[in-house]
Amino acid sequence: MTPLLIGVLALLALYGLYFAARVARAGGNPAAFLDAGQSLPGWAIMFLLPGLAFAGLGVERHLGLVARFGLQASHVAVGLVLVAAAAMMVWNRLWLVTRLAGLATPAEALGRYYDSIAFRVAMMSLALLFALPYAADILSATARLFETATGGVIPRAAGIWFFALALAIPAIIGGWRATVLVLAMQALLMALLLPGVTLFTEITAAGAGYPNQPIAVADGVFWDRIPGVLQNAAGIGKSVPPGGIFPAVGIASSVVALLGLVLNPATLYLGQGARAGRSFGIASVWLTGGLAAGILLLSAPVLASRMPGGLVPLSENLFDIAPFVGVGLLLLTLTGGLLAVSFFVTGGTLLLTRDLVLTYLLPRLDARAQRLAARIGLGFAFFAVALMAAFAPFASAVLASVALPLAVQMLPAFLGVCFLPWVSRGAVLAGMAWGILIVLFTEPLGLILFEALFVELPWGRWPLTIHSALWGLVFNLALVGLASAASHKAPDRPGRDRLHRAIAATLHTAPKGGRGLLWSLLLLWGFLAYGPGAILGNTFFSEPIFTARSATLGIPSLWVWQLLFWLLGAVLVWWLAYRVGFGRTSEEGIKPIVLGLQAPRRTPDWLAAGLARVAQRPALGASRRAKNGAATPRRAGGKGG
Amino acid sequence: MDRLDRHALVMAIWCPASFLALALLHHGVTSGGGRWIAAGFVPILGAFVGHVIVNAVLKTEFTAGETALGAGAYALALVGLLLTALLGTKELVAAIFLPAGIGLAALLSAVIIYLVIRFGPRGAFERFEVVRDNNPRPASRLPHRGGRR
Repeated sequence: MTPLLIGVLALLALYGLYFAARVARAGGNPAAFLDAGQSLPGWAIMFLLPGLAFAGLGVERHLGLVARFGLQASHVAVGLVLVAAAAMMVWNRLWLVTRLAGLATPAEALGRYYDSIAFRVAMMSLALLFALPYAADILSATARLFETATGGVIPRAAGIWFFALALAIPAIIGGWRATVLVLAMQALLMALLLPGVTLFTEITAAGAGYPNQPIAVADGVFWDRIPGVLQNAAGIGKSVPPGGIFPAVGIASSVVALLGLVLNPATLYLGQGARAGRSFGIASVWLTGGLAAGILLLSAPVLASRMPGGLVPLSENLFDIAPFVGVGLLLLTLTGGLLAVSFFVTGGTLLLTRDLVLTYLLPRLDARAQRLAARIGLGFAFFAVALMAAFAPFASAVLASVALPLAVQMLPAFLGVCFLPWVSRGAVLAGMAWGILIVLFTEPLGLILFEALFVELPWGRWPLTIHSALWGLVFNLALVGLASAASHKAPDRPGRDRLHRAIAATLHTAPKGGRGLLWSLLLLWGFLAYGPGAILGNTFFSEPIFTARSATLGIPSLWVWQLLFWLLGAVLVWWLAYRVGFGRTSEEGIKPIVLGLQAPRRTPDWLAAGLARVAQRPALGASRRAKNGAATPRRAGGKGG
Repeated sequence: MDRLDRHALVMAIWCPASFLALALLHHGVTSGGGRWIAAGFVPILGAFVGHVIVNAVLKTEFTAGETALGAGAYALALVGLLLTALLGTKELVAAIFLPAGIGLAALLSAVIIYLVIRFGPRGAFERFEVVRDNNPRPASRLPHRGGRR
């Protein structure tokens, strides 16, 4: 299997190299290296959103959880419908804000809208978190799988460096456009491989599988039902909840955590750079909420029931029957990991280059120099991510665990920019700080540090089986609501209102009937699909509540419930996209405005002094003073040294 | 850049479909039998339909390179099938000739249907009529001189 797997991966790497070279040879403005000229083709966005959902969920991780916990773990895939709706709504408005106010990155959008540098720092930190530890953790897991699949021929560390090199070269050559074009193909490959491999496995496997046979889980775990609404457990690491770790609220909170896939800087940047058109609607309604969620809900339990020994033994069995299918299963999981690594490292690095290097450190670079800076940054980033993955996998895993929940804490801030002008800066900052603290103390990062330094805490990871993202978001939203009510007439309100008036003027949407019904249906759907009401699905179709008789379906009632609410959810996202209008963007009627203070185009003195010390040239302040005839080398070079 | 974007989209459709087709055809030829070979043509047909949809949405046509590659690959497959029929063992021929032949015929039918729908029966025929098109003078393209373009 090893030569064929390596051969296919080499072809994937060559594909990336080919398109990177084509993009680079196409020429164009060198500055487009960083943002693809804000004209990414719609089809790439359409394919990439479900690919990111697959990759963020983690194909291998998801299949492993379903094999271990059964349908309760598979239920999380219903949440992809919510991810699709959130992506469409936030992308749509952020895209418009980008065109209206010329805010090119998520950090700039938040920083200028709220007129606060704290948001820039928060978004840059988040970009760094996704680009390094989060990507390093995925890269490490991918290389570990590769090592197992090759029987140790390619050790984990070697795999990490090979993968990092194969991903870095196309990114460095072709920039953002080449990366997105290549990843879009990989996303489509995953979307075809998952159902294809599942079908092939079922046709060729000996003996009955799911749904005729139950998924083989440990004793005491409910494979075909949700184990209650809430589990009174102290958290992972402290106590093991009986029945499984996915009660209804656990599922709901895991779905909320998935929103981090949308609210992280790189994904938002992807949406900002899309061409006008209908791509957001198609990506969300048909490909993510429809196809990706459906494929996962239908395929994951079937495939997971065939892999009690794990993914690699199943792929080896398949390889004996059909070599390309066995390799296809491994390719599916490896591609998912590599897609996430490439996307988050490239996107995060380009954002950091724009928001930090080109804004504060070297603000006077011309377009060619900007491209060079981005290329150097990409080289360093891929080197750093490989270094972390190879030599600090534990630290990467601990830091990666907070990436998604911390991204979710940006939700109130983006709700303010996109929809709610009454959300104030102070409220968002206070809520964000609370949310981040609570996330840290319900994840290993905070728990390990606190317990090592001070005392043992009575709770572990995800207390009461509620994901840290929801713990943080509940307190975050509560504080934002209260503080915004108290600061309703804050002095910065007119600035915020200007943007929302401009949005309303551009969209000139007349109030349509049925919006109340839509939001009511969305809340009801959320409650029943993945909220506490999902518990009804355990027996709703096998032991109906309106009769004493039992129905013999031949498939678990919960599976029917999942499929039903997946379809209903897709209809609701369709409504949002095509009836309310979130699925479409247009350049028509956009009248640019100037929002807040322009981004500072001057290097702060302390940064200039630091740079001067590294680069061994006079600092900007020093050179200015030298021009004026004042001798000031002591201040420029000596203050920090 | 638009041409490059279209090229990337076409490749994004064909590459995964080719992998699936290769997997199914390989399994069919080595051990699976006729139904897997026939199934191997489904991703190819799907990719062709996807390519036609791309052309319709982006208001483009198959490029000369794409046409040449497609025709070349088809001719190669046809020659391969004929050589197998002539030189292969009886079992091999019995196993693959019918499904592969039906698959290739289905592909040809799909192309013909596309041409007829896209250009009409006469226009589709004229796509292959190169003899009348060998006069480089612009005047030869006037309708009364026989040119129809």
